[in-house]
Amino acid sequence: MAEMVSALSFLPGVAAAMVVGADDGLIVEASAPRSGQAGAADQRRHTAALAAYLYGKVGRASNMARLGIPAFMRLEAEGGQVCIVGSREVVLVAILDRDANLGRVRLEMMQAAQSI
Amino acid sequence: MMVNPTVTEPWLDAPLRRLIGDARLISGVFLHPSGRALGQFGFRDAGEVMSVCALVSAINASAQELGRQLDGKPFYEMHHPGADRQVFMARAHVGVQEYLFVGVFDNDSSLGLVEMYFAEFQQSLGSIVPQAQAAAPGPSGDFEGELNRSLDALFGPLR
Repeated sequence: MAEMVSALSFLPGVAAAMVVGADDGLIVEASAPRSGQAGAADQRRHTAALAAYLYGKVGRASNMARLGIPAFMRLEAEGGQVCIVGSREVVLVAILDRDANLGRVRLEMMQAAQSI
Repeated sequence: MMVNPTVTEPWLDAPLRRLIGDARLISGVFLHPSGRALGQFGFRDAGEVMSVCALVSAINASAQELGRQLDGKPFYEMHHPGADRQVFMARAHVGVQEYLFVGVFDNDSSLGLVEMYFAEFQQSLGSIVPQAQAAAPGPSGDFEGELNRSLDALFGPLR
């Protein structure tokens, strides 16, 4: 799992990658922080907790709409994107810069989720 | 639906309301380590809060000692997941004064969320240090009397 997270984090434009507990929102595995990022650990913990929570809520909405389990979730913000893919008891979270190659990241995340 | 807290110290009201709403807590108590309740939410009567305060106070004392023996320092947080509901217990500091917090949540929240918003709660308490320390008297050693007085303040005097 550590290798998979590390490989994801080395994709162009990926600032961080994490495997997070789907129910508790706690980090299971995270990529090494970029150098010089003060408070990066706290930031990641917060992102992990909120991303897992959000994915859970989206899953409920998707189920209510009879669409099944969400395959891929992307949150676009001013400074970048947060991508989330679920895999049973965990969710895979990637934080992307604005210039990231979304298609490549999406493909790699989907494949990684299947391998967990 | 968010539950409204009742508090004995006005400085606790806003941060506690925010914590309850953000972390989606069902019930909880903020108390002095001696067992005196400063705030509660989600409980219907003083008897329930009295039990929680006594238990949390005892658990904290035991956990502190257990932490010292196992790890050389007291534990800061405890989490107990149940089938439907989970309990989160942690220490909070207002200046030099230590307080305890216990909160209950279900699958509508998560441990990660509760930990995150509890950290923010602690930060907001830190910013009100001068008023809080002046307002909150220390323990007198009369555990039962203090507990009863705090419960009277939260629920009104027993008839």
